[in-house]
Amino acid sequence: MNLHFTDEELAFRADIRAWVREHLPADISHKVHHALRLERDDMQRWARILGRRGWLGWNWPERFGGPGWNAIQRHLFEEECAMAGAPRVVPFGPVMVAPVIMAFGNAAQQQRFLPGIASGEVWWSQGYSEPGAGSDLASLKTRADRRGDVYVVNGQKTWTTLGQHGDWIFCLVRTSHEGKPQTGISFLLIDMKSPGITVRPIITLDGEHEVNEVWFDDVEVPAENLVGEENKGWTYAKYLLGHERTNIADVNRAKRELERLKRIARAEGLWDDMRFRDQIALVEVDIVALEMMVLRVLWADSRGRQSLDVAGLLKIRGSEIQQRYTELMMLAAGPYAIPFIREAMDAGWQGNQALGGLWPGGAAHCAPLAATYFNYRKTTIYGGSNEVQRNIVAQTVLG
Amino acid sequence: MDFDFSDDQIALREAVARWVDRAFPFERRHAAARAGGHSREVWQELADLGLCALAVPDEHGGLQAGPIEAMVVMEELGRGLVHAPYAAAALIAPAMFVTADASLRANWLPRIASGQALVVLAHQERAARHRLDRTLCRAEPAPDGRWRLTGTKSVVPAGDEADAWIVPARCEAADGPVRLFLVERGADGAGVRGYPTQDGARSAELTLSGAAATLLRDDGAQALQLAADIGIAAACAEGTGLMERLLAMTAEYLNTRRQFGAPLASFQALRHRVADLKMQLELARSMSYYASMKLDEPAAARTRAMALAKVQLGRSMREVGQQCIQLHGGIGVTDEYAASHYFKRLTVLELGWGDTLHHLATVSAGLQGHAGVFA
Repeated sequence: MNLHFTDEELAFRADIRAWVREHLPADISHKVHHALRLERDDMQRWARILGRRGWLGWNWPERFGGPGWNAIQRHLFEEECAMAGAPRVVPFGPVMVAPVIMAFGNAAQQQRFLPGIASGEVWWSQGYSEPGAGSDLASLKTRADRRGDVYVVNGQKTWTTLGQHGDWIFCLVRTSHEGKPQTGISFLLIDMKSPGITVRPIITLDGEHEVNEVWFDDVEVPAENLVGEENKGWTYAKYLLGHERTNIADVNRAKRELERLKRIARAEGLWDDMRFRDQIALVEVDIVALEMMVLRVLWADSRGRQSLDVAGLLKIRGSEIQQRYTELMMLAAGPYAIPFIREAMDAGWQGNQALGGLWPGGAAHCAPLAATYFNYRKTTIYGGSNEVQRNIVAQTVLG
Repeated sequence: MDFDFSDDQIALREAVARWVDRAFPFERRHAAARAGGHSREVWQELADLGLCALAVPDEHGGLQAGPIEAMVVMEELGRGLVHAPYAAAALIAPAMFVTADASLRANWLPRIASGQALVVLAHQERAARHRLDRTLCRAEPAPDGRWRLTGTKSVVPAGDEADAWIVPARCEAADGPVRLFLVERGADGAGVRGYPTQDGARSAELTLSGAAATLLRDDGAQALQLAADIGIAAACAEGTGLMERLLAMTAEYLNTRRQFGAPLASFQALRHRVADLKMQLELARSMSYYASMKLDEPAAARTRAMALAKVQLGRSMREVGQQCIQLHGGIGVTDEYAASHYFKRLTVLELGWGDTLHHLATVSAGLQGHAGVFA
């Protein structure tokens, strides 16, 4: 047992670091390091840069164009990107639907859809949750009725992240009402330009537009867009969950943000306030422990072993840590977190007198702190709420 | 000892609650928040109810009511998520005039009572954080017998609507005494810039460059401490009202929303959490009563009591705010639904007048032989 990287792993990390330093646009990393608002163009630019290098599908099998990295290398790649201030890769295409198409899709679907995902050109959304089907996703009602060589889709999806930018959406739809709800669900790929699709923004409590409702009104979807077999969609969705685990723990981002928390604490004169500093220390311990857990899961994965009992903990812990450091950043700013100036989160606002570009007290770093704290209350709700996650964990202990 | 409200206090509570029900639904508040947090109409409606006169002495047209009346009003304003600068303008400002000279009192207090004049304390400075003893704003005497103030004050509630600001400033030297001054809107050298706040209300930056000012009172440090203590008691009461409504909204949701074939309220894990939130609400209510009932104590005991209360309220507001959002699932983080607005207001209350950690330091530094309500 040891915690040392091999010489090969260190060399790999150095190569990745150099590449990211050269290719990550400075205007994008500036926004990420200062928690400024990222536009669609920023996220797509980075996706295309990764795509050109063949690294947008960094966890794809080699036979589908993946770089052939092992779990440790993938972790190092993610860490270097996060620490350098790369935006989070929008996961719906490269991390979520692509593995399903690779594992359960046919050759025609793989040839048709995978290149656009790998290159970053095509933006995908996830159509899972519905107003009546949140934690109880299996109870979903959006139906797809087969009529000749199309499925006619009717229903409503909600919480569709960045759905306003989506070119395509992968949906869990009901194709049978017989038997248990899970056994009547299919996995369907739908073109967002299809007639009958309406997207309505849902504004979150921080005033941002990142999720949507999507209505399907007699939308005709070619039958060839069904992935795998009819009524097997639930199995494919569960397969995805295994892929999501270490990614959603977001420990690399947590490490970067902890550094930012320390900078903010210093800027606010709190570095010598032991009471506050102890709170930072506690989060630091939490992050190190989470990273150790992530590494254990990655090691087990790399050895082809299951680690479901530990993997199930990662999302719970990761989300709680995200909530704690965003809370501490806001508390560090104190009264200077109270103003709400939406434009202040745009790059180029600060110091631009014509836009009134001066944060109260001159403390520009305070601008996004409360909004981010509020926004991150979602992390314990999405991706399978922490209540549902705890039930799953309990089952691994109690049987 | 008495924990009952008087008939007048009950009537006062009902009057405010009726106005909230009739005239201040969430849609109105939401619209005002989207329009930048301004609401002079709301202020006039509160004035028409007599609320602006609550803490003004009767010789100046006020109701001369006490801390319990203030607490009752703040609870109802919290329950209704009313974002008017009530504590700042109707509770703190009149208290700052108590030792001012007669002509100032006669000039301002009647207009404050009628709602015609909005006067707020502008004390927050960048270097001070939660401390009240780090005033950098300077006051120089002017030849005309008035003063000139130079400095910047931040996050002034309704600052860009105010007719005058009460400004603490240091005289004579960098470590000289702090006095309170009155700066009128439109005064030479006074600039104000307003902005929305996270809770849908509005605050402002006040920039003073040799701004013309009148001396309000000499005992600035003591006055500031009194202002903070009144502000804390008001925040505790408002927080209690906010939490009560938010928990009720959450209970209604849990009883209605069904997943896995059952109402969420039937899941034991959630039931236990609701019990914990009820605990936090009642602990907060208890310490809100404690705070308001201790407002008449001598300064040192009063300030210490407020520190204890703010620590409890801080912990309760955090727990209730965060968990009520969690219990709502996705809709809890939307702007459309009221729950997040309650949560954001609870959070802003934590950030003002010293946060939980700040007051924990006060409690910790002042630990003495006895603890207890009557210690």
